[in-house]
Amino acid sequence: MTGRGRYALGAALVAVPLLLALFGPLFAGGAGPRAVSFSGGAGHWLGTDFTGRDVWRQVLLGGRSVVLVAVAATALAYTAALPLGLAAALTRHGWLEELLMRPLDVLLAVPSLILVLLVAAALEPGPVGVTVLVALVAVPDAARVVHAAAVEIAARPAVEALRMHRESWARIAFGYTARELRRTLAADAGTRLVGALYLVSTAAFLGVGVAPDAADWAVMVDRNRPGLDLRPWAVVVPAALIAGLAIGANLLFDAALQGRRGKGVER
Amino acid sequence: MTRAWVARRLLLGAAQSAAVLVLVFVLTEALPGDAAVALAGDSPDPGRIALIRAAMDLDRPPVERFLDRLDALLHGDLGRSLVTGRPVSGYLADGFGVTLLLAVLTLALLVPLSLWLGLTAARREGSGLDRVISSATLAVYAAPEFALGVLLSTVLALRLGWLPPTAVGGVAADPTVLVLPVLVLLARPVCSISRLVRAGMIEALARPYVAQARRYGVPEWRVVWLHALPNALAPAAQQLARTCDWLLSGVVVVEALFVLPGLGSVLLDAVAARDVPVVQGLALVFALLTVVLNLGADLVARRFAPRTELAR
Repeated sequence: MTGRGRYALGAALVAVPLLLALFGPLFAGGAGPRAVSFSGGAGHWLGTDFTGRDVWRQVLLGGRSVVLVAVAATALAYTAALPLGLAAALTRHGWLEELLMRPLDVLLAVPSLILVLLVAAALEPGPVGVTVLVALVAVPDAARVVHAAAVEIAARPAVEALRMHRESWARIAFGYTARELRRTLAADAGTRLVGALYLVSTAAFLGVGVAPDAADWAVMVDRNRPGLDLRPWAVVVPAALIAGLAIGANLLFDAALQGRRGKGVER
Repeated sequence: MTRAWVARRLLLGAAQSAAVLVLVFVLTEALPGDAAVALAGDSPDPGRIALIRAAMDLDRPPVERFLDRLDALLHGDLGRSLVTGRPVSGYLADGFGVTLLLAVLTLALLVPLSLWLGLTAARREGSGLDRVISSATLAVYAAPEFALGVLLSTVLALRLGWLPPTAVGGVAADPTVLVLPVLVLLARPVCSISRLVRAGMIEALARPYVAQARRYGVPEWRVVWLHALPNALAPAAQQLARTCDWLLSGVVVVEALFVLPGLGSVLLDAVAARDVPVVQGLALVFALLTVVLNLGADLVARRFAPRTELAR
């Protein structure tokens, strides 16, 4: 498949879940009366779920939380990782650079889902808690990418010139270095977002950070499994939407990366 | 393998282990607020709160408790469950067999499968087959295990009836219950490692020493397997260790999905019951395993390609 083919496939795979997630809640309408669990007919064209709610309405409502938490976590991770990576790259003190970056190597050692489950056992985090956790897991990798790219830019004559002009640190860091970094960051943010989608949906599937009857695609997959042989759509539709979102996003970001690199060798 | 580099890497491993110990303790017990009240959860009955406080020694200062815990840990004591009073090591022993079986099966298939996929794609770079392999691995790589597992079991188990949908009957009675879990566990690591093998092989095959070996008439299989492959493997070996992170989370998801009574199920049950000592014990074991595997992989990668500048 060529880069353009991957673009098209990725965009097509992302479009349906993303549109459902963003605009679905507008079309969901009010909750109808509850019917029998895992029954069909009577206006429920995808059947009813484990508590007798209309599956289609749950599908319309259930994407927003997954997408919002993943996007918020990625943004939050960068608000921490960007200043951290820039500070470590722009400092002229070797010890400060070590002090800022070494602890991140240590943090990388903890498996991400184990960390989430550990916190879930002690604190029962809500959506905000899960956002912070997922962001925390992404910070070490993001900061390393920022640092590695910024070190190269910090060695340029332009930065030396800015220093000799006695420009402020913020001006050099955000006005010049971060602007030069924007393409690397855009590519890396794609990877981070796919990772966040994975972690957020998996945590929700395992019941972390969500109510047991929440309108959330991952929760639907988990809770409707007992009716899998009666009403497979109640499980298959949300599972396919999550898979489509993650797979499509990955194809799309990779195609964008390839396009930017030109016709170079694929990773 | 320079001695200084090895010493630095070992030091990092030790620091990571120490950080894991501190992090597990701080996140579950030393956070602001009353841990006993938080752990009692929806049933804040004073008797239960007092019980938790006594069981976990919460009246003593955190530093003292941490040192005590560390001392017990060094003597092989992981504490006792808040719910049943059984030692945590008993819980570990319960789930260990199933999880080890899953891990061994997965790793035994993972290495040959991803080497074969990566080599096949690399040796026909740019062909239709290469594009299909590259696109498919890129796609599956991103899919969460639970979505993949549910879709696969709907099609293969419920529609076609080829495989049992869950492992409720037990592994001993019917070993085919393991097919779907291992398939789901393999999916993501195979993709990431075969992509790295492919990229590494393409780079290695383009090197002058490969052309020189071919000019000398060295047989193609020797060129590929004995000369190019070791150089291509360094990044893949490191990724293999990093995938252990995924395998661990994959194991938790897969055991929940297919009702396998392994360490992942024990962990999820303990999280649901807020049984902190059991959660701590399992998290420690999982995290320390990750640290050790990463350390091993970096040492192996360094051995394969000593000149490569490693990321850490």
